[in-house]
Amino acid sequence: MTGMDAILHGGLQGYLVVALLLFALGLATVLLRRTLLLQFMGVELMLNAANVALLAFARFHGGDAQAMVFYLFIIAVAACEAAIGLALVIGLYRHRDTTDSDRATSLKQ
Amino acid sequence: MNKYYWLIPILPLLGAAFNGLLGKRAGKGVVTVAGLGVVLGSLLLAASAFLTMKALPDHRLVLNYGEWMVTGSMAVPFGLVIDTLSGTMMLVVTGIGFLIHLYSVGYMHEDEGYARFFSYLNLFVFFMLTLVLGSSLPLMFVGWEGVGLCSYLLIGYYFETDFAPQAGLKAFLMNRVGDLGVSMGMLVLFAAFGTLTISDILTQAGHLAPEVGFGVLTFATLMLFVGATGKSAQLPLYLWLPDAMAGPTPVSALIHAATMVTSGIYMICRLAPVFTLTPITMDVVAWVGGATALFAATIGLFQRDIKKVLAYSTVSQLGYMFLGLGAAGFAAGFFHVFTHAWFKALLFLGAGSVITAMHHEQDLFKMGGLKAKTKITFITMVAGTIAIMGFPGTSGFFSKDEILYLAYLKSPALWVIGVIAACCTSFYMWRLMALTFWGEPRDHHAYDHAHESPLSMTLPLMLLALGSLLWGFWGVPEAFGGHFNIGEWLKPALTYGQTHAAHGHHEGPAILLALISTTLGLVFGFLGWSKYKNGPAWELAFAAKFPFVHDLLLNKYYVDEGVELYLLRPIRWFGNVLWKLFDVIIIDGLGVNLPGALARVFGDFTALFQTGRVRNYALSMALGAAILLYVFLK
Amino acid sequence: MFITFALITLLGALGMLLQKNVVVAGLCMVAAFFGVAGLFVLLANPVAAALQIIVYTGAIMVLVLFVIMMLNSHEEEKAQVSHPVQRWLSVALLAALAFGAVKLVLASGGLKTLAMKGAEVPQAMTLQKVGTALFADHLLGFEVAGLVLLAAMIGAVALTKRNL
Repeated sequence: MTGMDAILHGGLQGYLVVALLLFALGLATVLLRRTLLLQFMGVELMLNAANVALLAFARFHGGDAQAMVFYLFIIAVAACEAAIGLALVIGLYRHRDTTDSDRATSLKQ
Repeated sequence: MNKYYWLIPILPLLGAAFNGLLGKRAGKGVVTVAGLGVVLGSLLLAASAFLTMKALPDHRLVLNYGEWMVTGSMAVPFGLVIDTLSGTMMLVVTGIGFLIHLYSVGYMHEDEGYARFFSYLNLFVFFMLTLVLGSSLPLMFVGWEGVGLCSYLLIGYYFETDFAPQAGLKAFLMNRVGDLGVSMGMLVLFAAFGTLTISDILTQAGHLAPEVGFGVLTFATLMLFVGATGKSAQLPLYLWLPDAMAGPTPVSALIHAATMVTSGIYMICRLAPVFTLTPITMDVVAWVGGATALFAATIGLFQRDIKKVLAYSTVSQLGYMFLGLGAAGFAAGFFHVFTHAWFKALLFLGAGSVITAMHHEQDLFKMGGLKAKTKITFITMVAGTIAIMGFPGTSGFFSKDEILYLAYLKSPALWVIGVIAACCTSFYMWRLMALTFWGEPRDHHAYDHAHESPLSMTLPLMLLALGSLLWGFWGVPEAFGGHFNIGEWLKPALTYGQTHAAHGHHEGPAILLALISTTLGLVFGFLGWSKYKNGPAWELAFAAKFPFVHDLLLNKYYVDEGVELYLLRPIRWFGNVLWKLFDVIIIDGLGVNLPGALARVFGDFTALFQTGRVRNYALSMALGAAILLYVFLK
Repeated sequence: MFITFALITLLGALGMLLQKNVVVAGLCMVAAFFGVAGLFVLLANPVAAALQIIVYTGAIMVLVLFVIMMLNSHEEEKAQVSHPVQRWLSVALLAALAFGAVKLVLASGGLKTLAMKGAEVPQAMTLQKVGTALFADHLLGFEVAGLVLLAAMIGAVALTKRNL
């Protein structure tokens, strides 16, 4: 299967394109939205995109189980990051009474 | 004995070190013994060396102490040369130097800085001997610079006053201008002859023909003469010598009459074979010397400070010496150096005695009638005065007439200038004597307390007086029946295988010329004495009738003021410009502040990227990662 | 099928990006996750799909929605200063990224070969296979992951405690 064909019918290229577009959208959310929680969600989206790419490759290598292990680790990391990140957001909110990331500029020169 | 002769210059150096470092603690007695002892020791050794040299067939004692500077094609040795020229000068320096050291014991007796004075004086003797005895030009130059340094130190001896340090600085700076000339001359001589050892240069020069027109050697000798002008106070670098009278009188006697100021003449005599090759320079030397002799003599006519009269007299007499050298009378010029050392030192020391007697009064108009109170000073000063005016039979008579005769042979105009200067010399010297020793005392208070100086001061006066009267017989010219022995004596040193550098024989109307100049000198001397023997009334009347002339001469032709106005002020203005414009605006502004400002601007610019916002940082990271990705995937 | 799930995913992500209301954005995100789960199924990996729904949508998104509620931040706050540079630069970057990436993927020969090689659908991933790989081959990693989770848990508690 080649080119657009693959994209439309679920070939390797199709999945990869989806993954890349998903990544781009996740990055967009981080860069363009000011709410911390929304930025966090964008990060999760980027992780998911990576997962999609990973598992697509795994399937085309004959269903490698190692990919699954990797996938589990990614999820574990995402979960940890979620916990800590949200804890930090709560902490910031308690301190500054805002979740606008543009308002946290103490490091400004 | 030869192996001890290096002590001749070194002994005074040791004396200087001792007196300088430990003198104050050791006390005046020890300093006196040390200061006088080293010079006496040096004198005795010098006498021994002189006799050794005399016994040698070629009258040259060479003492080599190894290589000093060896690089490339230049090899400068460390050594002393005692030949007839340097040997004579060496004895003058140590002998008259010793007499002046002895005199200083009495003169400086009450001064606080006694040890410092003797230290500097010893140091001066060391440097002067290095200058005289050095076997190579750089070693001579070391002495040359060193005596300049000592001159500065001793002129500024009374450093608490305002004027003395300034005078010392003036002397030093003018000397430096001259030193530039000496350096240039040395370098060109090295380029021309390939060596800096004096005897080698002179030997080579002896085989060359005189230069036609303006060549390399003429340039070198002119530069050396510029140096001589500075050191020996000729036009235009003479301004420091009258101001140098701010130093103690023994200093004026030793440095600014007998020895240091004659270094210029000595140097030219030393390099006589080279100077003989450059007729243009010889002309310059003769005319500058003659002009200076006349110029300074006229200024001396109406000066009121006793030391200033003697200072201008020194400048004038130095001019005579250069006149003699320029007229190819190297021996004659040096003869005048020799006789002048005796009678000028005598006159200065005598003046010092007068000043002490009058309780540090130096204004002639306030003196008078001292011949009754200070007999020895009076008699010795009369001896010195008749020597300087050229009274027949005195040393000054023979040396000055020799020079005037040679001047006539070169150009009659030079002879006329010399004679006029001689008349002025007689006039102002007898004016000085009359105002000081004759007539009614004008300052009764000082006169009442005046007394003769102690033996330590009068003994040198007496010895110097004898010398002033008797040494003339060393150089009796042939026209008067003598053999001009000094010419014969100096011949090995002044000629290095070439034709006449020492003049002795005469062909012109020598006796007639001598008669005219001597008679005129006696007439003007008598005039000077008679007009002033009853006080300065005549001068005041003259000043009223001819104020312009009188003030012009009294104020030394306003040369100092002219230099200040036309030379120093523009230089200071230029310095100011360099400071305000160049240093502040260009160097500070452009060189220092501008990079600083640029750094600040750049810093401010990059600080814009530090917004503190996470989104911005994330964007930068993403951009960077994208670029890297692009690069990796290319 | 593929197109359907792909569109669900991408539209959900787009919705999250563009929505003003944070809660609605979160729900769009959930929809995207569901799409991804579907894609996983198509990739012969039902295990991954299940895990995706359980962990991501079930745990993480729920947590996020809880925090949104707690902080009362369903409306995005008004911007204090506008940042056109940030906006335009980001858009440019993203466009470049997207187009570049897609072109790259389509043009790559290696990918074509790989696609052709693994064209036939493999055996579906089973929990057994996952378990074997995890506990037999990568036991150490598993333990470390456990430790990381423990640390995260402790951290989260420590960070949000009011008085330690």
